Amino acid sequence: MGSKSLSRVDRITYFLLTIVGLISASFIVFISIFIALKGVLPFLTDNLGLGSVSLFKFLTQTVWLNGPTFVSTAYGAGFLIVNTLYIAFLSLLISFPIGVLTALFIAKIAPKKIAGILRTIIELLSAIPSIVYGLVGVGFFLPIIYSLARSFGYSSSGGSGTLATVFVLALMSIPTITSISEVSIRSVDQSIEHASLALGATFTQTRFKITLLAAKSGIFSGAILAIGRSLGEATAVSLVAGNARSGPTFGLFDITSTITSTMLTGLKETQGIDYDIRFSLGIVLMVVILLTNMILNYIKKKVGNVHA
Amino acid sequence: MEPIIKVENLDLYYDKFQALKKISLEIPQNKVTALIGPSGCGKSTFLRCLNRMNDLIEGMRMDGTILFHGEHSESSAYDVIGLRKKVGMVFQRPNPFPMSIFDNVAFGPRQQGEKNKQVLKEIMEKSLKQAALWDEVSDRLSESATKLSGGQQQRLCIARAIAMEPEVILMDEPTSALDPLATQRIEDLIEELKKNYTIIIVTHSMQQAARISDKTAFFLMGEVIEYGNTADIFANPNDKRTEDYITGRFG
Repeated sequence: MGSKSLSRVDRITYFLLTIVGLISASFIVFISIFIALKGVLPFLTDNLGLGSVSLFKFLTQTVWLNGPTFVSTAYGAGFLIVNTLYIAFLSLLISFPIGVLTALFIAKIAPKKIAGILRTIIELLSAIPSIVYGLVGVGFFLPIIYSLARSFGYSSSGGSGTLATVFVLALMSIPTITSISEVSIRSVDQSIEHASLALGATFTQTRFKITLLAAKSGIFSGAILAIGRSLGEATAVSLVAGNARSGPTFGLFDITSTITSTMLTGLKETQGIDYDIRFSLGIVLMVVILLTNMILNYIKKKVGNVHA
Repeated sequence: MEPIIKVENLDLYYDKFQALKKISLEIPQNKVTALIGPSGCGKSTFLRCLNRMNDLIEGMRMDGTILFHGEHSESSAYDVIGLRKKVGMVFQRPNPFPMSIFDNVAFGPRQQGEKNKQVLKEIMEKSLKQAALWDEVSDRLSESATKLSGGQQQRLCIARAIAMEPEVILMDEPTSALDPLATQRIEDLIEELKKNYTIIIVTHSMQQAARISDKTAFFLMGEVIEYGNTADIFANPNDKRTEDYITGRFG
């Protein structure tokens, strides 16, 4: 469209939309720069005489703070990265099958009325704030996990730890996976399902081998979003993780901590290096999420769409 | 020879609408039977009775008998899965699965529990050869079936049906989405296939029916107006309505 065909109103609208678009896009730049400027301080300054933090040690060490607060600069976040990825992975192991099967049920099996009700419930679930999920974790999961651990002869810290965190995150991720998978399953071309049935395949075979296969790209997108949510969730996690100061933690009943829960814990009651270093964790978190997304999108392209 | 399918007094309703009225037809074995008639005349509905695909439609009700090899294939006690293994289907629009060419053809046998790679390979090669597609795809069997041309996809769908070693192949306007050249190839293929299979084809093209079929049934408003040898139907139709349709006066 040549500029001559634009009226004055068109040109003003065009200009306004461009400005709004640029402002939105600039937020990501602003946030990145702000976090980065704060986050690099512990590595570049001598932290008021305490000495600078070693970047290599920060990324690899397995104790968050070695020594007393405000005196030591021995912060290690290596175990937090491992914990965060481990917990996100375990929660996906629970939320993925439940979410996808729920989606399949809503899209293909449930009678229309029940499907409508379930769809509304799933929407409501995704609208529940994360702090509420955290409270459910504290009030419901912790006591159960505590007794469960005891029945195995294992003493847990009141139930806090990996398993509780995994459950809370899985619960939070299920609506995301379900709603995205459901849309994708519903939009599968019925004609290929009929082709499968006409070949003598059963309904079950058709749903699992044809419908889910044809919807896999959307299902994968749901999983990617769910992982993103698990990696970035702080409030609910810090309520049930137990906030371990060292790790990594692989035991299901042992207390743990993630990048986000460590950033959040005590953020408003501290200063100096102990405050700034949380911004460094913010950089780590953003890089972890970015890399995970890139890897998953690469896998999605490689595996998910071979024959689409 | 005994007809392979014998339909008697078949009525079919979608809720209150009666789509088929007292249909009686005998389908001869190893012949091509064409079902012609204007849109909405019930020919596709009738075709879908033969492999019970109408079962998927809510509110569908059926009265009458459909004997397949003398057995009541319309009864609810009849093994539908078994029926669909013997009565394959090719759809109006090519609908390959979003998987490789190999996996498309192997899908049916795999669902029946065939796991032996060698056996699957033989079935696949044989089916693709019978569907006259082998020469074009033998060097790219692991590529996506959705990348094939429309005509190739439709022949792949025929190969996929053949892989089940059916006795009957139902074709629901299989060339309506294809260009003339691809249509020609499918028609040649049908000629070839009738040696081994009984073919029932719905077509909106009277020329196609005349070219490829041995028997023709003319459907109108849910009824079979006339059924007989294709040559007779087109040369000396008994019914005025048949004559009007084949001479293009309506439809």
